[in-house]
Amino acid sequence: MKMLLACAVLLAANTAHAQAYLDCHFVPGYEQSGPKRQYTPDNLFDYRDGAAEGYLIYSFTLLQGIDCKSGSTILSIDISDMSDADSAYGMFSANRDPRQPIARIGMGAQLMPQSLLFAKGRYFVEIVETDGSTDSNQTAALQAFAAKIEPLLEGRSTPPEELAWFPPANQESVKLVPESVLGLKILKRGYVARYATGQAFIVIEQSPISAAEVMNKLRARFEDSTPVKLADEAFELKAPYLDGLCIFRKGRTIAGFTNLADPQSATGQAAKLLERIP
Amino acid sequence: MSINSSRREFLSAGLMLPVAGAASKFDFLNPDKPVAKSAKTPKLEYRTLGKTGLKVTALGFGCMITSDPSVITRAADLGINYFDTARGYQNGNNERMVAAALGAKRKDLILSTKSIANNKEGLLKHLDTSLSELKTDYVDIWYLHAKDIPSAIHEDMIEAQQIAKQQGKIRFAGMSTHALAKMAEWTVDKKAFDVVLTVYNFTMDAKTEESIAAVAKTGTGVVAMKIMAGGSRARRPGEQVDPRMQREGAMLSALKWVLNKPHIGTTIPSMTDMDQLDENLLAMAEKFSPNDEKALAAHLDQIAPYYCRFCGECDGACQKGLQVADTLRILTYADGYGQFALARERFNELPGHHATARCGDCTECTVKCPHGVRVAERISRAQELFA
Repeated sequence: MKMLLACAVLLAANTAHAQAYLDCHFVPGYEQSGPKRQYTPDNLFDYRDGAAEGYLIYSFTLLQGIDCKSGSTILSIDISDMSDADSAYGMFSANRDPRQPIARIGMGAQLMPQSLLFAKGRYFVEIVETDGSTDSNQTAALQAFAAKIEPLLEGRSTPPEELAWFPPANQESVKLVPESVLGLKILKRGYVARYATGQAFIVIEQSPISAAEVMNKLRARFEDSTPVKLADEAFELKAPYLDGLCIFRKGRTIAGFTNLADPQSATGQAAKLLERIP
Repeated sequence: MSINSSRREFLSAGLMLPVAGAASKFDFLNPDKPVAKSAKTPKLEYRTLGKTGLKVTALGFGCMITSDPSVITRAADLGINYFDTARGYQNGNNERMVAAALGAKRKDLILSTKSIANNKEGLLKHLDTSLSELKTDYVDIWYLHAKDIPSAIHEDMIEAQQIAKQQGKIRFAGMSTHALAKMAEWTVDKKAFDVVLTVYNFTMDAKTEESIAAVAKTGTGVVAMKIMAGGSRARRPGEQVDPRMQREGAMLSALKWVLNKPHIGTTIPSMTDMDQLDENLLAMAEKFSPNDEKALAAHLDQIAPYYCRFCGECDGACQKGLQVADTLRILTYADGYGQFALARERFNELPGHHATARCGDCTECTVKCPHGVRVAERISRAQELFA
């Protein structure tokens, strides 16, 4: 009973803490418009419609939001708890425009004239001007709100370390794929970096043994593959939709390059990726 | 009629019915490369989407959560011809990915997108952005996104769809909804939409089926979404997906159930990998079978005591005046998602008698959930936790 009470107090404290970062008075001239909102996985569809599924696959647990009004401008602030920092960054990476630069707020941010997205710790934050039909520029207000909210959110301010393993040259985008990396169910969850030519991926399994089992399944799927000498084990081939590819295992990490002109090119790029994996 | 027999008849209804008849950004995808269809390519079933006359494959593709464009490219290569996205999915990244995946094949395909904007200017601005991102001059179907009550649709929004039609930017006007039962009568009277996109799956009641029939009778094409009832993946961290639904073929049963219903023009299940695509393709070649019925009934059995479908049948039914559906939803916050504080906060916002009324005081519960939720048991648990 004492344990239950302690848990209830802790959870109540978390919710109270969460409410603290929803305050329109953070920025002078803004007042709250309408009640605060909260959504769980059960009813997020009521708020985000079909896009809710895009949250659920990134381990969404709770959205808390508020609308702040100044004159005719309404900024909608939504803070989603994504369970952990990797998922929060994953959500950010899926929603940012890869053609635009990443700003330095939390683990990463994207500032546009009418919207600001950022991830910090396990939280994914969206501040958006609700009337998308105008061509207004709200960057000052968006940044002002973010400057107040970001320090209140606990957790990591650095992106997942695996992202630094991808070679940076010619990299166009990088994101967390929450299921079926490369469109393959065998590769459950991992990071994918797209390049001007080809793409690289990193999947981390529970253990070297489970990673070796995944490699066996991959070899069974790609039965025409040829072994190559790279890391603990590796193979290359040319496959439909993935073109020239090379996949290797280093300990519990499975990684590789795909969609290059030929398997040899993929193996060459995979070797460069391998050099960066600790 | 018992709950079990009702459900069985509901599931069996499907058995009784005849089977109805821009250049890629990512060069590596090479989506324009022709792919020979292998001998294993399943039979494709085409249907006419209401009065639009569009010939769509019974299996379409909901692109929203697909991460790898190759899955979409392969679906198009295999003959699936209807692909659905929305302006709001991943802040527009989804439309860009769909464009990259389909490439020059787009001209031979039926493509739909949606806008959540709530006025003419916003809608038309979204449409222009969608066309630019999708690298196309037009979309075949353009939906007003997520309209669950008639008052959410204003005249100028319908005007925006008409303007877009006149400009050749869209071929057909659509509306997507999660609450067709509330929207059907208005939709039929309004005659504004060529296509309706609605949630439809094996957990839903006959009211939804009647609404679909009413809309379809006017010649409006019906597209089904959420056809897997959320059963294919965990909805929260750590949740165990029902193993019976993970079993090979179980999700196929859910898809076949929808396809065997009348009035459904096409379906748009989400697919994230090649295996899901291969499995779902089978739905066009296989009939809904007794084994499918068993798989779905087993899933319903498991979720029935807990799963409130918010059908509204219990509204006003409690003799003590308890708001049953609201209480069940609040309980789910705590039991389902570990949000105890949120649940207690919401429970305390209910009228005071929700904390004091005792189900045990009633000799018989007057709330008879048509879906088998054990209402008195769940209400009592909510009171234990929050009152």
